[in-house]
Amino acid sequence: MTRRLVVVSAGLSQPSSTRLLADQLAAATRAELGRLAIDAGTRVIEAREHAHDIMNNLLTSFASAGLREVLDAVAGADGLIAVTPIFNASYSGLFKSFADTLGNTSLVDKPVLIAATGGTARHSLALEHAVRPLFVYLGAAVVPTSVFAAPEDWAGSGDTADKALRERIQRAARELAVQMNHREPATVADPFALPAPFEDLLTGP
Amino acid sequence: MGRMQFGVFSVGDVTPDPTDGSVPTEHDRIKAMVTIALKAEEVGLDVFATGEHHNPPFVPSSPTTMLGFLAARTQRLLLSTATTLITTNDPVKIAEDYAMLQHLADGRVDLMLGRGNTGPVYPWFGQDIRNGIQLAIENYALLRRLWREDVVDWKGRFRTPLQSFTSAPRPLDGVPPFVWHGSIRSPEIAEQAAYYGDGFFANHIFWPREHTQRMVGLYRERFEHYGHGDADQAIVGLGGQVFMRRNSQDAIAEFRPYFDVAPVYGHGPSLEEFTEQTPLTVGSPQQVIDRTLTFREYVGDYQRQLFLVDHAGLPLTTVLEQMDMLGEEVVPVLRKEFAALRPPHVPDDPPPHPAVKALRPADALRPADALRPAETGR
Repeated sequence: MTRRLVVVSAGLSQPSSTRLLADQLAAATRAELGRLAIDAGTRVIEAREHAHDIMNNLLTSFASAGLREVLDAVAGADGLIAVTPIFNASYSGLFKSFADTLGNTSLVDKPVLIAATGGTARHSLALEHAVRPLFVYLGAAVVPTSVFAAPEDWAGSGDTADKALRERIQRAARELAVQMNHREPATVADPFALPAPFEDLLTGP
Repeated sequence: MGRMQFGVFSVGDVTPDPTDGSVPTEHDRIKAMVTIALKAEEVGLDVFATGEHHNPPFVPSSPTTMLGFLAARTQRLLLSTATTLITTNDPVKIAEDYAMLQHLADGRVDLMLGRGNTGPVYPWFGQDIRNGIQLAIENYALLRRLWREDVVDWKGRFRTPLQSFTSAPRPLDGVPPFVWHGSIRSPEIAEQAAYYGDGFFANHIFWPREHTQRMVGLYRERFEHYGHGDADQAIVGLGGQVFMRRNSQDAIAEFRPYFDVAPVYGHGPSLEEFTEQTPLTVGSPQQVIDRTLTFREYVGDYQRQLFLVDHAGLPLTTVLEQMDMLGEEVVPVLRKEFAALRPPHVPDDPPPHPAVKALRPADALRPADALRPAETGR
């Protein structure tokens, strides 16, 4: 069985700890999917690379071809890992702007793992009071475990997080993999498809 | 046979000229729209279409007042709208106003229906934007009956019922104006146009070509489904947006300050990005010709091309220069090229009103028609 895993990382610096966390979550999720005999193709989207197109979309109401392809990839994902830096007690503006271009149906019933990085551990609940409500509003099936990484969490050896973060990553990844395993492959609605023949439209709802 | 129609459509925005900060008054702008329409006839364009808006900074809230005035000042120009709000106008008033206009203009009238996307306009006129599609469907179904049946009994969801109502005046010679339905991305409206065998107009100018291609494709497919003809015989109109100077670098340099702060897309994509993503063409008349000819590659052979030339604070003199170039250099070539590519079974233009058709023999003398390839079956 194959499934599509898409990772959105909204880090601003390069290299970014947000991307580092995103990559570890993706690797852990792939491993968990592997245990369920699911081969997951993984696509990582750096929001920064589409920053201008995202803002242009907000201003013109249409996506450039490059951004369209990214939005279609998110809509077509069987599972999504969304990682944002925490700025001023919430998701970054770039992360929210990207979410605002998604459309209000593309995440419905989609398994989503939310994660964030921040300057201190005191920002960790921003995941619960800001990021989770956003995805719940969009109809996503957000897994119970969210993952927050503060600078001290990277204090393990080199690029490896310490034990508590590693365990949390694994638990969240397992939850996401199980949700992906429970669902049929994602289908994307065609916005130009006719909802009903005209006689039905004429008689009204 | 007729010929493909070219014209201009105006949104009627009052926008400061970003190069000198000057702002036309509403009076200036309204008179400028009239001047632009008269210029359209003078330079040999076929159509002038006015928008309808009920909020500043736009002036054209009363389209048939303006078009009635233009009817008296023109002889040949087809007067149209882009768009008439089928959601918030009373369909009874649309039936009356446009039938009256038909009489005054001796049939030189058609109209394009649209829903309008300015949220507050709906409640200002007693409606709700969430009913937009249903309003468009119910109101138009009534409008058709009012034009086609002398006495109408009617009851619906959005308007008070009608008992023994006769819309007056009756349409000129009993033939209602031709109707286009405009929509950017609502498949229901393409379906509506197809169901009735009406025209479909794709705004095209603020949106990527993929939207236009999908919407026109759906309309053509359903037009055939409902038995009005082959898909390629459906009646399609497109918007376009151009700015021209002899030298394309001059066109870009002059238009950029207007583009950069224009309503709708200003402060967003660069001129270069927007040119790539939408039909906007800024350059020489030849570049406009080349770009416009590519439209048929993704929508098929179509019947009406309207250009937006007068927005974003461009001075009237500049707009009139654009129209001279359209009339003298661009449209004559487009007429010839589009006609040469059009298969014989595909209509050149939307069905003309019989009163206008009666005037048609004079058309044969027009130079543009003489350019049409003769005796080739095309």
